[in-house]
Amino acid sequence: MYYEYFKVAVKNLRVRPLRSWLTILGIVIGIFLVTSLMSLSEGLKNSIMGELQTMGGDLIIVMPGEDMFSSLMGGNDLTDADLNSIERTRGVETIVAMPWGAEIVRYEDEAKTILITGISFERAITLLKEDMGWHTIEGDFPRSGRREILLGNLVAKNILPDIRVGDEVTIKGKRFYVSGYLRSLGNSQDDSMIMMDLEDFRLVTGKREGAPMAMAKVVSGFEVADVVRNIEESLEETRKRRVGEDTPSFSVLSSDTVSDMVGSIMGILQVAVFAFASIAIIVGGIGVTNTMFTSVNERTKEIGILKAVGAKKSDIVMIFLFESGIIGLIGGVLGVILGVATSKGAELILAYANQMFYLEAHLSFFLIFFGVAFSFFIGCISGYLPARKAAMLEPVDALRYE
Amino acid sequence: MTNIIKIENVWKTYDLGKIKLNVLKNVSLEIDQGDFAIILGPSGSGKSTLLNLVSCLDVPTKGNIFFKGKNISEFSEDELAEIRGKDIGFVFQRFNLLPHLTALENVVLPTIFQGKEEKESIGLAKNILESVGLKERLNHRPTELSGGENQRVAIARALINNPEIVVADEPTGNIDSRTGDKIMDILVELNKKEGKTVIVVTHNNDQVKYGNRIIRIKDGEIVK
Repeated sequence: MYYEYFKVAVKNLRVRPLRSWLTILGIVIGIFLVTSLMSLSEGLKNSIMGELQTMGGDLIIVMPGEDMFSSLMGGNDLTDADLNSIERTRGVETIVAMPWGAEIVRYEDEAKTILITGISFERAITLLKEDMGWHTIEGDFPRSGRREILLGNLVAKNILPDIRVGDEVTIKGKRFYVSGYLRSLGNSQDDSMIMMDLEDFRLVTGKREGAPMAMAKVVSGFEVADVVRNIEESLEETRKRRVGEDTPSFSVLSSDTVSDMVGSIMGILQVAVFAFASIAIIVGGIGVTNTMFTSVNERTKEIGILKAVGAKKSDIVMIFLFESGIIGLIGGVLGVILGVATSKGAELILAYANQMFYLEAHLSFFLIFFGVAFSFFIGCISGYLPARKAAMLEPVDALRYE
Repeated sequence: MTNIIKIENVWKTYDLGKIKLNVLKNVSLEIDQGDFAIILGPSGSGKSTLLNLVSCLDVPTKGNIFFKGKNISEFSEDELAEIRGKDIGFVFQRFNLLPHLTALENVVLPTIFQGKEEKESIGLAKNILESVGLKERLNHRPTELSGGENQRVAIARALINNPEIVVADEPTGNIDSRTGDKIMDILVELNKKEGKTVIVVTHNNDQVKYGNRIIRIKDGEIVK
């Protein structure tokens, strides 16, 4: 029986193909927005979370500023005194401070702007290897005083594809030698960096001391939360001793806390994205309602005929709901296809155009199913009022309608 | 013979705001099973309104209508739809076929609402269309058919659910008289050979010859 309704509905939709397709287009746009934006924002979330997870759970991040935002925005750094006090804190095995800055790197005839990170390799080597999974594919880590640099995986592969271990590059007029390059760190942002010894970094960039953030590794056996508290206390003491210093302002976060915060920020972002895209779907739904009302008016006589030959109210409602449901369904399928294509396209373009930023569109079965089901649902909801209007027509009046 | 439709003191009044228009005034009549009834009257006499009541398309303002013994004047719209679908076949003056469906699809349409098997319905529809001489026109749309052909499609549609009653509202009104005679012949045959009760509304006195019961109506009242 439902199959018959379906066939009747399809035939009706094909009577006015242009109008049907325009109405479908309204739904396509909404579903397209939901699918593409949700998959891209989910991909963004995954890529950030993935980056955070490359750090082990027993790492602590110390940043200046009250919260994550002010420390990311503000230019205030942790001083060397801060760094030293962190390293001396009970429960801290070692710390890595990684100041960074973008510099023009010249290799043969090429000149590329690349992010450079200064690392005190002597202190950090075990943390980098064991906790963060840094391994060289070729060559070795830089030794201090040798003016050596370590290349991220993508630097060697894509950014300066001809470069070899032992080659010479020039940064701010100073010569450096490639000591090795790394296996991929799991995200293209890190893979697109050049690492050099902290002393060399300070020489090149002119940043005398401090770092925008530091990571501390917890001695095994200590609770991460306890060590977080210890670091806070020792930083407070250090800063109180300094003359003219205001109340200490810094954030000490375990990597789990950071993951949680980023996760919730991304969650809010996704809700916002979904809310905006939903507005587009609702507008599409209003389009369906409008089309269906027009259709009911035009087909008053037809409805009268159907009633005369025995159609009950529920039959009429079903025929019209099938029509609007089919509009929703086709709109949903096309919208999902377009959304998937767009987010995959955006992924490819980003990967091609910008090696500093990496994003993989996340396409789950749920998202695709949801896109199609939601549009079908919107189609049915939008068609309900017109369908009811059609069902309520008196057969005699409807038959008389010309 | 037992009556299939019995109308008792029926009034139909249309409320036009300031005035109330009595289209039917205290009408009573009986139609028996197997009758070929002709409802005859000039335009505006109320004959179509009477047909609407007889064919369960509408309910009276006052009075009772019994369909096979059941008082349908209080029936809900869906209950009336059920009777229309099962027991009544409609033939209209303007054919009232769905323009975007083929002849075959138009004939099959009423079976959808009875939940019948589509395959069987299609087979049956083909047979009926063949019997009214439209074997070669199954896949033509109404715009591709002549008036007479369209009316025969409409008759086939009226017969698809094997109703006891066929009602026809001015079935020859939109076609030439020779074709009209053929349409009337088909209805007569249905009445004679298949024993169907046929009710025809017309303003054409010549058609009186087809009926065994003539109901003359004027100004909303039955004229003896």
